[in-house]
Amino acid sequence: MEVTLLVQAADDAFRILENARGQAVDLLDTATKLTSDTRLMEEKKFQAVFVGAQKKKSALQNFVVTFLLLFAFWALLSGKFDTFHLSLGVICSFIVALIGHDLLFANLRVGDMRVIVKRFFAYLPWHLYQIVVANFQVAYLALSPKMPISPKIMRFKTKLESDISWVTLANSITLTPGTITIDIEEGEFVVHALSEKLADDLDTGEMEDRVAHVFMEADHIYIQDVLDVSRIFAEFR
Amino acid sequence: MIIRGEDIIIRTIARVLVPFIQLYALYVIMHGHYSPGGGFQGGVILAASMVLLYITHGYSEVNRKFSVNIAALFSSIGVLIYSGIGFLCLILLGNYLDYSKLYKLLNVDPAHARSLGILGVEIGVAFAVMAVMFSIFFDISTGGISPEDEEEKD
Repeated sequence: MEVTLLVQAADDAFRILENARGQAVDLLDTATKLTSDTRLMEEKKFQAVFVGAQKKKSALQNFVVTFLLLFAFWALLSGKFDTFHLSLGVICSFIVALIGHDLLFANLRVGDMRVIVKRFFAYLPWHLYQIVVANFQVAYLALSPKMPISPKIMRFKTKLESDISWVTLANSITLTPGTITIDIEEGEFVVHALSEKLADDLDTGEMEDRVAHVFMEADHIYIQDVLDVSRIFAEFR
Repeated sequence: MIIRGEDIIIRTIARVLVPFIQLYALYVIMHGHYSPGGGFQGGVILAASMVLLYITHGYSEVNRKFSVNIAALFSSIGVLIYSGIGFLCLILLGNYLDYSKLYKLLNVDPAHARSLGILGVEIGVAFAVMAVMFSIFFDISTGGISPEDEEEKD
């Protein structure tokens, strides 16, 4: 009697597991289908951007964002909030934005701004920590009597794509004590490092990965996939 | 003639900074009668931003935004604004550049009219200084020959 109950229970359990597995497979299938759809759409959007269909819209958007930024800068400088000075600020920001709306956001994809700014500010504490650590390392190199330095120039190809991310990475490297970016030649960084350890730290590529994350390059599609799938799973649950 | 520079770091930083430099220049001009600064200083900063763009992005990029002919026009407009306000005061039975007489036109009290008159004169000074500074730099860098003429010669 007990044995048959046990067998039945095991059978039920197996059936439930099988059902769950089938559902999970279905779920994953739909998820992958949806992500491939979104990826297709993403690629189409890129194409549209490259073809220049959105050129006019992005120019207007750039203009508006530049204008708002400049006006905030004006309010910060001026500190006078009466109508006369604010209207002067509006006129001045408008003129400058008209002249230079293609300067500030020349190579940025439209619509990514808010994420980039958020991620950039999240990147700063990590970079500050990195600077502090490197400071101690360089102080050790300078203070120890043997002076165990081994200056070297290293070259590495970067996976970053746009000029602003190259510049961010180059300045991050230069700001970190012990390493200096000498030049960027066609996406190849030429970096001077003070010691083997500092060069190795840079060679792990963590800084590059983080900059790529900030500007949503190289691993952008991958992150987008994960975000999409998580949203779909939340909906099913 | 200065051609487009190759250093991507300098070029990108200049690209991002130029709008803010220009706005700072305009701030210096517009607040010249309240705080240190004024037409000349602001005009020089404005010209410096154009020179920075010229050094980093080369002739063709700047020529699209602010060509030498426009610079010549602006320098004359600046002088015109300055002397125009001065003569306006003469016409309104005051001395040359006696801004307080402008109150009849601007519909405000004389003290306020002085402030606005100084602002107008400083805008004129800024126009002239900016245009002349830029064209001096341009003439020195090209040796006085504009690139279009050179292309025609070739």
